[in-house]
Amino acid sequence: MTSLKTRKDVIYTMPVQPPPSPTLEPLKEAFEVMKRPLLNSFAFTMFATIFSGILGSINGYILTKIRFRGSEIVFLLLVIGIFIPYQAVLIPLVMTMSSLGLYNRIEGLILAHTAYGIPICTLLFRNFYGDIPDSLMMAAKTDGAGTWTIYRRIVLPLSAPPFAVAGVFQFTSIWNDFLFGLVLARGTEALPASVALANLKGTTTAFWNVQMAGAWWYALPGVIIYLILGKYLIRGYMAGAVKG
Amino acid sequence: MRLTKDNINTLLIFLPSLILVGYFVYASIGWNAVVSLSDWRGLTPSYNIVGLSQYAQLSHDPVFWTSLENNLLLISLFVPGSLFLGLFLAILLDAKVRAENTFRTIYLLPFALSFVITAALWAWMYNPSIGVINTLFEKIGLGFLKSGWTTDSSVAMYSIILALIWQFSGYTMLVFLAGIRSIPESQIMAARVDGASSLNLYKRIVIPQLKFSALAAFVVLMVFALKAFDFIFILTGGGPGYSTYVLPLMMYRETFSMTHFAYGASIATLLFVVVMVVVIPYLYMSRRGGE
Repeated sequence: MTSLKTRKDVIYTMPVQPPPSPTLEPLKEAFEVMKRPLLNSFAFTMFATIFSGILGSINGYILTKIRFRGSEIVFLLLVIGIFIPYQAVLIPLVMTMSSLGLYNRIEGLILAHTAYGIPICTLLFRNFYGDIPDSLMMAAKTDGAGTWTIYRRIVLPLSAPPFAVAGVFQFTSIWNDFLFGLVLARGTEALPASVALANLKGTTTAFWNVQMAGAWWYALPGVIIYLILGKYLIRGYMAGAVKG
Repeated sequence: MRLTKDNINTLLIFLPSLILVGYFVYASIGWNAVVSLSDWRGLTPSYNIVGLSQYAQLSHDPVFWTSLENNLLLISLFVPGSLFLGLFLAILLDAKVRAENTFRTIYLLPFALSFVITAALWAWMYNPSIGVINTLFEKIGLGFLKSGWTTDSSVAMYSIILALIWQFSGYTMLVFLAGIRSIPESQIMAARVDGASSLNLYKRIVIPQLKFSALAAFVVLMVFALKAFDFIFILTGGGPGYSTYVLPLMMYRETFSMTHFAYGASIATLLFVVVMVVVIPYLYMSRRGGE
């Protein structure tokens, strides 16, 4: 509601009072500021979601269906990656991205979000692939199919549900991320919408309308996905997923 | 395992993930720990190993103790607060409501939103002069309850905790609701036939079986309470003064505002160790429990 108020109305009306003279000005003004960051966020979120999903799927398959000595340990080491406080990797992350020339670049955010998305995606796919009967694999194996062929011919076609869960979960998490954007992208070239919105937080009360309007723009894609595909997100959360 | 062509193929498709996680998680944590033992200040990396002097400095730094206290306050209020509110909502939803999915969707929405959004929303509500909360209090004649929610250093941390409980209780509700749903219907029917009241049914049959749900939610909340950053950084920035500093926020400020890299790395290393102390026993237990 505040996003529909003029600056004057923000000052002279009660916060919960409807705007006396509704205006779309703040929404337009906020959109001008948020346009580029929203596109940036879309770009790295889409790519990192796809990459971490594919890698998670391959890992889940290898860890449930191939198995090897030490695969339990490898799995545990991957899962620990879900819980680590990112502060503990922040300095090396910034150094690495700078030396790769990926600081302030969309590609840098894609790489970071992909790498740190692998653990949770592996867990999601592993839970799901545990339910695929081994007999299916054995039959293909006796026919001489290799690891990669079995994955492509048998596992992948059955993977629509886990891809939906991992996809929606990763999209939401990466879209919502603030910390990586804050330390990896300060300039406009790759500035994510989350950081742009935080920067919008003006000091004067009159800017509340624009700030709220900006929050709407940033929230919109996430809310739409949540309302349509929320059940997949819930399954992601249930798999022991974490936030933050 | 023999090195057949197929095994090499398997390794090849596994390798990208192993390299990425190995480097960005494990090598980076190790690198960070090395930085914490150095004297690196300023923008040019310096790896003169000076031992534990950063940690010694931390133990004399009042900001560190304030931050740690606030993390502990989060753990002692936010974690049980979210657990109990979530349990309450789950039971309410289980017992009374028909449109369960609709309510679940509404309650869980805050958790699906970015902290940047919820922080902007709470900043707007908590604002002392034009905020919704103070305005409402005044309107209904409870003006004495008005407070400087985020501007009063004795209240600000509690304002943060209240908002975070609001944001996370939908998640704990979800976990508990799934726990309740996994209890066999027959047990509940049997108790009902024996004439158990709803209250007794929940107290005797349902809640005791939610131990694992509670443990899972507990670990997630604990880890969050230790690494909370975004919401606090945006809502109060650690202020007023240092009153809402937490360790992750202190780490960020020391490292990226003041370029005390080694000092920041030592905070981060401590944080990592504490989180692992919570997570590893849990993973160990749930692996054993699952088999």
